[in-house]
Amino acid sequence: MGGTQTPGARDYHLLAIETSCDETSAAVVRNGREVLANLVSSQIDTHRQFGGVVPEIASRKHVESITVILEEALRKSGIGLADVDAVAVTQGPGLVGALLVGVVAAKSLAMALDVPLIGTHHIAGHIYANRLVGEIHYPALALVVSGGHTELVLLESEGRFRIIGRTRDDAVGEAYDKVARALHFPYPGGPHVDRLAAEAEGEIELPRAWLEPESYDFSFSGLKSAVLAEINRSRMKGETVNFASLARGFQESVIDVVTGKAMRAAAEFGVRQVLLCGGVAANRGLRERLSRLCGEAGVPLLVPPLSLCTDNAAMIAAAADLKWRRGEFSPLDLKADPQMPLEAWSVASE
Amino acid sequence: MSDTYAPPASATVLAIETSTASLAAAVVRDGETLGSVQSFAERNHSVLIVPEIQALLKECGVSPDSLGAIAVGQGPGSYTGVRIAVSVGKTLAWAWGKTLLGVSSLEALALGAWRTYKENAGGSIAGPVWLVPVMDARRGQVYTARFLADASGRWERLDADGIRLAAEWAEQLRTEAAAGMGPAPAILAAGEIGPQLEAAFGAGNETGPAIRLVPHAMEAVSVAELAAERLRRGERDEIHAFVPNYTQLAEAEAKLLAARARGD
Ligand SMILES: [Zn+2]
Repeated sequence: MGGTQTPGARDYHLLAIETSCDETSAAVVRNGREVLANLVSSQIDTHRQFGGVVPEIASRKHVESITVILEEALRKSGIGLADVDAVAVTQGPGLVGALLVGVVAAKSLAMALDVPLIGTHHIAGHIYANRLVGEIHYPALALVVSGGHTELVLLESEGRFRIIGRTRDDAVGEAYDKVARALHFPYPGGPHVDRLAAEAEGEIELPRAWLEPESYDFSFSGLKSAVLAEINRSRMKGETVNFASLARGFQESVIDVVTGKAMRAAAEFGVRQVLLCGGVAANRGLRERLSRLCGEAGVPLLVPPLSLCTDNAAMIAAAADLKWRRGEFSPLDLKADPQMPLEAWSVASE
Repeated sequence: MSDTYAPPASATVLAIETSTASLAAAVVRDGETLGSVQSFAERNHSVLIVPEIQALLKECGVSPDSLGAIAVGQGPGSYTGVRIAVSVGKTLAWAWGKTLLGVSSLEALALGAWRTYKENAGGSIAGPVWLVPVMDARRGQVYTARFLADASGRWERLDADGIRLAAEWAEQLRTEAAAGMGPAPAILAAGEIGPQLEAAFGAGNETGPAIRLVPHAMEAVSVAELAAERLRRGERDEIHAFVPNYTQLAEAEAKLLAARARGD
């Protein structure tokens, strides 16, 4: 079975780098499962003053942090550079200038150490973060929700990705941040909306974008507009807007649609497990609902701890392990790919 | 940030430069070029840089163990470009435990142009020469500096690396050359000269001292040469703190500071 060490087999260590957005991260993972170090240098305080991630500044920060974070990860892992068996790096998707720093550093390191390079898909990383906390049983359904992504991914077997639904406009996390801004929360405001919704006593009912009956796709821009329209309507009438009820209405709409589609897909494809992945997996409302629905349907739900849900390099190592075990490596002329497709990154062999 | 230490008697330097359209790398030992590469695959520096270095080291028969230092063109230049060489340089220096040395990309450009100019001029360089490296920084601006050189081997920096309006800079150079005491220096503007720079530096040549445009592509041997000089002085850069010299804030930062200054 994949990943299980045969007795007496040598330990192996993947060193992974992730710089796709605003976190500079390096990790060392032993035998594909055991996180020895997972260092994340967040730039959030820098970007907060701009109200969002500024790509040029993100790239500059990655250059400042890259070797510091590599050294710290290595020191914490307790292994030496000579013990690194392969270097994994996020190849895409992400901000091109941010990806470039990690990719160039990873290629340099792979050359310097004379070990294989493994270009890795960021979303595969989010999904396989689950393998750092549990065993994945196939077929599995991954619900990926983050600031940049909202996808339903079917895993028929290990390392084979099939996107069955995706957002047609904003990502969930993006919609949360935009609504948070309308409710006067500072960037990033998603967690504030989640908290406010939980505290709300009432709910302002908002529409649900189910799209075509068969579709597993998502759309959140209409919902975001509905929130803004509701704020305007109240203002015109001179009423104070009940932000809490509005946050609840928004959150309920998102959760109904996201979990509704996930459960319908889980049933249609007869999956043995549902995986919740990405930074928005921290959303309490979403976790609770999905957990209840999975319980009712008798399908186990796997959710990584928060530190493995937000962008981090250990998840990149976990995904790269799929390719390491199959000997599928990348050349040193690997190119960062801001639009990298997930399905094409599937493993070549079973 | 740099510190000093006892300089090595001899060193093999790997130099890398990606701040312009040219991807350049060289291996230089005590002034002798063991090998160099220069390609013009713009926007592909990040793709080619590592395989190029790998091939270069192999071709020169230089193992990582025998490398003494890694030299990097630190900018200014293309933001993405300088990040590539700096990231590669930092990572290699860290992984191999080598001395890291940053040099000004503009100084390397000027030095390379000067070397070529001297070779072409034979022994006929009379007075002082101002070497003015120029890189297009868009919107009528250039990354530039000024160096003073002469036939006796003098090499002196007159202006810091910075970003300037090309037309104003050309005008300033002419005015200062005309107003100086002693013989007016010859002015050589060197770099990848496009039509816009040609217009900015050519206009006014009829009235004041002429600025000669010297098309010159970045060469890594100049980076190695400048780094070797630093090495002789016992200098090196701190790997973790090593960052590009962008010469200006990111646009968003500049706007934010301006807004704060206005009290917004
Ligand atoms: Zn992510």
